[in-house]
Amino acid sequence: MSTPETQKPEEIRVGVFVCHCGLNIAGTVDVHAVADYAKTIPNVVFVKENRYTCADPGQEEIRKAIKEQKLNRVVVAACSPRMHEPTFRRTVAEAGLNSFLYEMANIREFASWCHQNNPVEATERAKDAVRMAVAKVRLMQPLQTIEVPVTNKALIIGGGIAGMNAALDLADQGFKVYMLENTQSIGGHMAALDKTFPTLDCSICIEGPKMVDCARHPNITIFASSELVKVDGYIGNFKVKIRKNPRYVIPEKCTGCGECKDVCPIEYPNEWDMNLGTRKAISVPFDQTVPLIYSINKDYCIECFKCTEVCGERQAIDFNQKPEEVDIDVGAIIVSTGFDVYEPYDMPLLGYGKYPNVITSMEFERLILAAGPTGGKVIRQSDGKKPHSVAFIQCVGSRDKNKYPYCSNFCCMYTLKHVVQLKEKYKEDVEVYVFYMDIRSPGKGYEEFYDRARERGVNFIRGRVSRIDEDPVTHNLTVHSEDSLLGQPIEIEADMVVLATAAIPKKGSADIARILNLSRDANGFFMEAHPKLKPMDAPTDGVFYAGACAGLKDIPFSVSQGSGAASRAATVISKPTWKIEPIISVIDEAKCKSCGVCVDKCPYGAIRLEKPKPAQIITASCHGCGTCVAECPQHAITQMHFTDAQIMAQIRSALEDKPEEKILAILCNWCSYAGADLAGISRFEYPASVRAIRVMCSGRVNREFILEALRLGAGMVLVGACHLPFDCHYISGNYKMKARTDALKNMLTKLGMSPERFRVEYVSAAEGIHYAEVIKEIDAHMKALGKEKIQAENAKLKPILENMLKRKQQ
Amino acid sequence: MPLKTVKKDAADYLTLEWVLHVKNYKLTLDKTRCVGCQICSLACPKEAIKTQKQPKTQGEKAKRAKVDIDLAKCNFCGICDVTCPYGAIKVALNGSNDLPLLAKETYPQICRDIKVDTRQCDKECTECETACPLSLITVTRTGYDGKPVENLQALTPSQKKRVQINLNIQKEYCPTCRVCEFKCSPGAIKVKKAIEGITTINQEKCPEGCTDCLDVCPITGALVLGEDKKVHVNQLFCDYCGACKNVCPVDEALTVKRTSIHHTPVHSGTWNKALERLTSTADAAKELKIQADQNRRKAVAKRFVLEEKIK
Repeated sequence: MSTPETQKPEEIRVGVFVCHCGLNIAGTVDVHAVADYAKTIPNVVFVKENRYTCADPGQEEIRKAIKEQKLNRVVVAACSPRMHEPTFRRTVAEAGLNSFLYEMANIREFASWCHQNNPVEATERAKDAVRMAVAKVRLMQPLQTIEVPVTNKALIIGGGIAGMNAALDLADQGFKVYMLENTQSIGGHMAALDKTFPTLDCSICIEGPKMVDCARHPNITIFASSELVKVDGYIGNFKVKIRKNPRYVIPEKCTGCGECKDVCPIEYPNEWDMNLGTRKAISVPFDQTVPLIYSINKDYCIECFKCTEVCGERQAIDFNQKPEEVDIDVGAIIVSTGFDVYEPYDMPLLGYGKYPNVITSMEFERLILAAGPTGGKVIRQSDGKKPHSVAFIQCVGSRDKNKYPYCSNFCCMYTLKHVVQLKEKYKEDVEVYVFYMDIRSPGKGYEEFYDRARERGVNFIRGRVSRIDEDPVTHNLTVHSEDSLLGQPIEIEADMVVLATAAIPKKGSADIARILNLSRDANGFFMEAHPKLKPMDAPTDGVFYAGACAGLKDIPFSVSQGSGAASRAATVISKPTWKIEPIISVIDEAKCKSCGVCVDKCPYGAIRLEKPKPAQIITASCHGCGTCVAECPQHAITQMHFTDAQIMAQIRSALEDKPEEKILAILCNWCSYAGADLAGISRFEYPASVRAIRVMCSGRVNREFILEALRLGAGMVLVGACHLPFDCHYISGNYKMKARTDALKNMLTKLGMSPERFRVEYVSAAEGIHYAEVIKEIDAHMKALGKEKIQAENAKLKPILENMLKRKQQ
Repeated sequence: MPLKTVKKDAADYLTLEWVLHVKNYKLTLDKTRCVGCQICSLACPKEAIKTQKQPKTQGEKAKRAKVDIDLAKCNFCGICDVTCPYGAIKVALNGSNDLPLLAKETYPQICRDIKVDTRQCDKECTECETACPLSLITVTRTGYDGKPVENLQALTPSQKKRVQINLNIQKEYCPTCRVCEFKCSPGAIKVKKAIEGITTINQEKCPEGCTDCLDVCPITGALVLGEDKKVHVNQLFCDYCGACKNVCPVDEALTVKRTSIHHTPVHSGTWNKALERLTSTADAAKELKIQADQNRRKAVAKRFVLEEKIK
């Protein structure tokens, strides 16, 4: 690839398109002023305002202008590039221009939406954004997208109902599918349920056939009792390492006859039964287990080898099995890890774990299930008798600011199911109370189901339970609450209390997020690439979500998301090749001294060095974070589309006017830029003194960027990154940045700069409010320091910085 | 829901419990019967049982080692229950002591081979009752009319002749020390030791004046204080439980070596391992060899029968 110097000089003709976005931008920003200002910027030959640039007519305007005005650079001043950059890239490409000769100025999320009460400064910020974009676009070079071959196989992580549906859909389309399940059986939570609402059809009866289909399908390979170790590669070409944990039974030889279970003398509590019942040390968690392979739990096994004896010539038992690692290649990954259920041990007022007759809904589910440990009899633990009055308590942990602030989505409905089941089973023999905050039943047939429960004579009491007391002799419980409809405190005596506890992110989500470079929201669920328009896409290309792992969903929604994710994955793996962005690093072989610093710092091991030859980038492995660029002591590496010259141009342009009143923010694309976008989307107001520059990763931030900004007299400098330790989209770019900036900050402070003027902040994509707070804080610091002090400091710093920058450029 | 577990450590007993909704597993260690020996901690396949030497206060007798069971490791298999020579541990499932371990023949029962021939008994003798160091024997007499005899002296000589003696031995708590056998002058009791072995005291290393082992030994007469102020072993009565070894202050002064254990026939890996830990690798191998030889003999015999049939 050629560097800018070798290109033939051409006349730069920039076209600027200012979008009104209806009133989204035009309502705050004076778009005409911005357009007028754009005309005054050097190299801008054409300016056009559009009501909606992203709509068809708007795009047509761009195409027309490129042809008619012979534009060779395009700037669209509209929304965030995280939203519509791909749209306009396509537009310019359709007009025959290289799609990398276009830049976006974010004047919606970064101007109109976050400074709604300050239209004057918002307009100023918008103008600066356009100027910065033009400064950058001027230096842009045409780039060719890189095509990589695609492995037409998929990996599905988590074999619940969502994952199974995704697997079956993909397998039926003819793709090879690997299913990874960390428990012994696929099926997920649904396999543990008795009935499903609102139709009251048996859960395992409808799920069981699907489970068997998965096992029998020639295109599906199930890895049960296995875990994800490592994922390398990129969209279309993931290299996955899976660890198969030993089950001490050879899957190929086990016939699932269960003779071993009969001779085994040891029982242990069955976690799958919520520890209400037991299972043998060699067993399957439940009868319908798929794949039907027995496992030995070595924690409890006493190694009598009776199972080996009875297994006889089948020889399926191998006590020396070791964990085994398997490598597979896939083109797309679907994450469907599901959820966990909260256990309210830390809510002592409800007495769970202390009083034997206080149970959770999942335990109730196992009690009322005919195949459960009690054979479908609802009995109390304290005396084994049937309860005559049962109180159900809603929102235990959910919708609770101190625990989990969100609504767990399906608890209302499953409690309605429980009360209907209980009433239909024991009729008048049981009195049922439901303590609720609101009954949420938005779904097909759900409200009718609520009516059905009320017709059965269930007592619904609107109020939050304050505490539960137990009679130490009878073990009966007294529920204290308020009836908020009557406005009176109420006490109910019940034989049994069932807590509808919150559904929480799956344990181990953090590990999955780290391995796949996913981000998680404030509650711990996976974050979508876009909450509305890409609900099944992960921010990492080629990774998709299905089911409750990205936000709680009931069964029908999880099923449809499974199919949706399968279809999204098929868009990747059905193609023979996939285009990847050419935003990669390029080494100038003439400058490279083969020192090897880049090889050490590259998070992906994408740089090869054979001394004394210059270092080489492995194009397909390079993810384009730019960490090596910032680290190279020789300045021999360039990141395409984010070159030093381009970013420097943006910095200079941003600080052209009144630099001491500006905050220069360099934000990483995946977390802090997204967080700043969210601040805009959420309409959190913050001072308009900030000028933001987007880089792919904070690891890309050179020391020179900061030095240059301060040389130009910037009031404050902010570097925004993903949270340590694992949030970085490029594994460890934020660590590299931290090491660099820590040293730099020390040096600058010693040179006489106030330490608060240079700041590194970690903002996740979910922390819009945090970003707004940070900017407010920095602005307050800047105001507190005062213009004079900043100018004085800058005057002192300037000669030193100039010297340093000059030396670097030699 | 994590498993609900309970551990209670009272003065007289230690209980561990798994409380499930429909099942209840309970292990009870009767501290009044526990002698702090080595057997359960060696037999436990999960290494859940530990013995702790208790600190000795000056001028007092040495205390027996304390047995502690780790609730996190215990799986309520009942091996300790079956193996304990003193019957101090009981494992119950829903209150019943029927262990699946024994029903499925994964672990043998330890043979407490005690034969009593009351016909040889002296009608007035209660030697065994007083001799038993654990007071497990009660002697009762039944008269000619089938009624228990209150006062032997009141009977006529002919009536006396027809008196039947009954020996009630609480076998499950009996460590088969053979004290009763030796104290029985008519030779009516025959006891075979459940555990065979040898206990030795290295007199050179045994500290003079220390009687710790003697203090804790549950069997009267198994250890004796000699005239030389040192402790000597009486192999006749020793049951090789190792309670003495647990408190001996000097390494290598006292060794307890178990060589074989009498048990019901069983074919189980668990037992082989327990046996190896309780005795030694060599002794366990010996038993395995005998077992293998028997199997081989059976196989050969079977084959010859077949060949004869073919002819």
